Amino acid sequence: MSFLDRITEGWRKNRKPGYYEEFDYHWAMTIDLDQCSGCGACVTACQAENNLPIVGEDAFTKGREIKWLRLEHYWEGEYPDVKLNVIPMMCQHCDSAPCETVCPVSATYHNQDGLNTQIYNRCIGTRSCAVYCPYEVRYFNYNDHAWESPLDQQLNPDVSVREKGVMEKCTFCIQRIRQAKDNAKDDGRRRVRDGEVQPACVQTCPTKAMVFGDRNDPKSQVSQSLNDPRAYKVLDELNTHSSVVYLKKVEAEG
Amino acid sequence: MPNIDRRDFIKLVGAGGVGVGAGVVLRESIKHPREHLIPHVLAPEDYSSGVATWYNSVCSMCSAGCGISVRTREGRAKKIEGNPSHAVNQGGLCAVGQAGLQVLYNPDRVTGPLLQAAGRGSNDFTQITWDDGLTRVASRLDVLRAAGRGNRVAVLTRGTSGHLAELLEAFGQGLGTDRLLHYDYDHPHALHVANQRFFGEQQLPYYDLANTRHLLSFGADYLAGWLSPVHHSLGFAQSRHGGDHRGHFVQIEPRMSPSGAAADEWIPARPGTEGILALGLAHHIVASGHYEGDDVDAWQEVLSAYTLARVAQETDVSESTLRQLAESFANTRPSLAIGGDGAANNSNGVDTLVAINALNYLAGNVGEMGGVIFNPDPGGATSHSRQANYQTLAQLAESARSGEIDVLILNDANPVFTMPVASGFKAALEQIPFIVSLSSFIDETSALADVVLPSHTYLESWGDAFPEQGVGFSIGAVSQPVVAPLYDTKATGDIVLDLARRVGKPMPWNSTEECIKDGWNKIYQESDSNTKTESFESFWTALLKAGVWGKKNHRMTETSRPNANTIASIGVDAPTFSGDAEVYPFVLQPYLSTMHDGRAANLPWIQELPDAMTSVVYGSWVEMNPKTAKDLGLTEGDLVDVESPEGAVRAPILVYPAIRPDVIAMPIGQGHTNYGRYASNRGTNPLEILSPVVDENSGNVASNATRVKIVATGKHVEIVKTSGKSRDLGRDIVQTTGGDDHTAQTNSIPITVIPT
Repeated sequence: MSFLDRITEGWRKNRKPGYYEEFDYHWAMTIDLDQCSGCGACVTACQAENNLPIVGEDAFTKGREIKWLRLEHYWEGEYPDVKLNVIPMMCQHCDSAPCETVCPVSATYHNQDGLNTQIYNRCIGTRSCAVYCPYEVRYFNYNDHAWESPLDQQLNPDVSVREKGVMEKCTFCIQRIRQAKDNAKDDGRRRVRDGEVQPACVQTCPTKAMVFGDRNDPKSQVSQSLNDPRAYKVLDELNTHSSVVYLKKVEAEG
Repeated sequence: MPNIDRRDFIKLVGAGGVGVGAGVVLRESIKHPREHLIPHVLAPEDYSSGVATWYNSVCSMCSAGCGISVRTREGRAKKIEGNPSHAVNQGGLCAVGQAGLQVLYNPDRVTGPLLQAAGRGSNDFTQITWDDGLTRVASRLDVLRAAGRGNRVAVLTRGTSGHLAELLEAFGQGLGTDRLLHYDYDHPHALHVANQRFFGEQQLPYYDLANTRHLLSFGADYLAGWLSPVHHSLGFAQSRHGGDHRGHFVQIEPRMSPSGAAADEWIPARPGTEGILALGLAHHIVASGHYEGDDVDAWQEVLSAYTLARVAQETDVSESTLRQLAESFANTRPSLAIGGDGAANNSNGVDTLVAINALNYLAGNVGEMGGVIFNPDPGGATSHSRQANYQTLAQLAESARSGEIDVLILNDANPVFTMPVASGFKAALEQIPFIVSLSSFIDETSALADVVLPSHTYLESWGDAFPEQGVGFSIGAVSQPVVAPLYDTKATGDIVLDLARRVGKPMPWNSTEECIKDGWNKIYQESDSNTKTESFESFWTALLKAGVWGKKNHRMTETSRPNANTIASIGVDAPTFSGDAEVYPFVLQPYLSTMHDGRAANLPWIQELPDAMTSVVYGSWVEMNPKTAKDLGLTEGDLVDVESPEGAVRAPILVYPAIRPDVIAMPIGQGHTNYGRYASNRGTNPLEILSPVVDENSGNVASNATRVKIVATGKHVEIVKTSGKSRDLGRDIVQTTGGDDHTAQTNSIPITVIPT
């Protein structure tokens, strides 16, 4: 079996439904759009937790900002019957991720927890993954970013700082997942308890619109939330099998 | 790279614990190896390399008083999270609260005492010693106090609650001055006056969003800027998906705020007519026989003028909408009406909020779960009694102009930024012979200081907070230092204590910590057996660990009935605006943005946080209805002058789909001339051009009462924003569902239940 065949075989395997049930965890998130107020606390929490750079105004004008989690705004209708729909958008951790198949160096791959992960020191910066990603949630470091002293003292030591030429994106706060697994091991537990891991965005959400947890555990809060009749996936027709599930906004009559 | 042998390398790696992260340390240590290679012989307590230590404290970014848990590693603060045990925020925290770390680690902080010898506004500061700085201040204070002229000292501080407020109070008394003012731009003056007038209540009530099923918000951006946004967000979510019934939210405001976007209905009533609208609904509720009190005749009489037909005419909301609103408000139990900045900051603000109180009363929402619940005593000092409104500040300015003030002590308040230029406030302050600032940053007001004695940030100092809006019972928390002071600064309380000693009026404490602890000892002594532990020390440890204190003192409300005079006084006049409508066709609404009142503009995370409605970063903009823009031939990015009778500010047009055609809105927060590298010389400050129209009842400036005209400059700039397509284009990204197939929730959240 050639190297390429082995990789292809690997991809096929993890695209089978239920593949992750063999493993301990299959992390997933739900976001209730009927509860989300679009305040942006999650965006700043993510920036604080994951050492996202302060890119400066120029980078924004060039579309080179780095926000692993962003809010998308969609207006609907015309004045006075106008509505604003807001949706938090981050890496959807697709089980059939288009970005993973395109990386020439396998810098992005799927791990056994169902996470789409990015290996920074393997990435050679072709940016193909960003082109393939239908959610446009991959961010490229066009520059090295500086933290003006003493802002650097805030940097989270559990998360590496990325440098120029590297692609980055939401990790579901993998450092927190690792920490929780370590804690579980230290306590002599095999599994992490439901609610023990909360990514920074979920933790801070003032409306508790976001729920994170293990989809393999049918009793977890996220599993129950996934069964909500309002659940849907963004761009589901692309068969990306994303791990982020949104709950529809309710349009009340009157 | 310098030569480095294996042994050095191992040492460097071994030192990883003292630095920010191995990578950074390595680079830094090579530059300054000595600084980083000295290990702790005796590590401080709670310090363990590679292990995070969490401290509970209180957020001080606004006056809501959310509890925070700060994660520290190796003595540095890494992350702020909401304290899950604190009843105000229950683990949640807003973006500005998250960004508090950048107050602590801001590169533009004042690092030690400064003297501005070259003249005010020169920004030419020289470093001095603490002793020198304190002596300069104390000598002036001492002379005034000794001569019995202590009232020639004015103290102007950011809203401060708890025992620090009492300490400042004692300081003022020692000096013999009653010119002790707290100032927050967004302090709800009108709401206090209105509640006093209608309910006879000194303190803000608790608005029970969590349990309401129908919320009518009159210009209150309760999810983003009003009173206690995180607590309201929890309540909003609980009402929507915490029970069997999905709460219905209605927002009445001329420009859609984030709360308007989250609401089920957005009703763009004419600006300043919110109170008239509320009385129209009240009229319908009384006329349709819903209200059955024995004073119904009095109500009928006072409301008789507010027929739906007339109200529809004045508010530009259709009669059928009004009728349906009134009926669903009265028939959905429980319901709740709230009035915020949009309604309060008009010339008729207090009358409007009284009308909203009346609406709650008539619908039977007062003292009910899911309605307006009166708080017991907050358990500690709040800042309201000292809060300065526009008139108070104008008086201060007048006193300064007439030479009645010799010394001004500033503490983290920035009225020069938020006072309209027309008030002449800045020029008046310049008349004061000596100004000392205790602020951590050189903002527009501190730029006038002769001496800067920088205080610690809230993450380095002791304090406590007792949120006035409460949670239905008394709640408080202690703010404790989570890191050692970064610079040569002192706690505000310590500076004040030192000054008091130097002027011969020593207070009974040696430090702020002692003062706070002493205050909590009193609370402990007075507490009941549930709170009592074996000693105060064990109570104190438990308090700091938990980061919150509460008292089961739910207040039973005897529904206070408004008397005949109160009822007879109800009525809302048409709003008045400065400027001739012919010349100035638009009403300007400056609103609180993510930068709050401008205090968060120096935090790069907040500058880079796309605006909640427009996704703009790093700048100001002028929101305009698409039709108005079309009529004026303006498109996004066209630079215009927004001209009021008092002056003009320049900013680009942003075509905003959800604003009345006769209203222009601008965010507050940008337009700093000082305040550090991230804030200064960026955008414009709409508050500058406000006319000093004052609501006589509250004494505060009616910030929504200035008319403006738009003058195109012919120039064009690109507005920096992150959103791509502003329309969904059939991609069905945000999907919606009708109310019918919505079932009871699995997604409920724990939220404080009002103990009954």
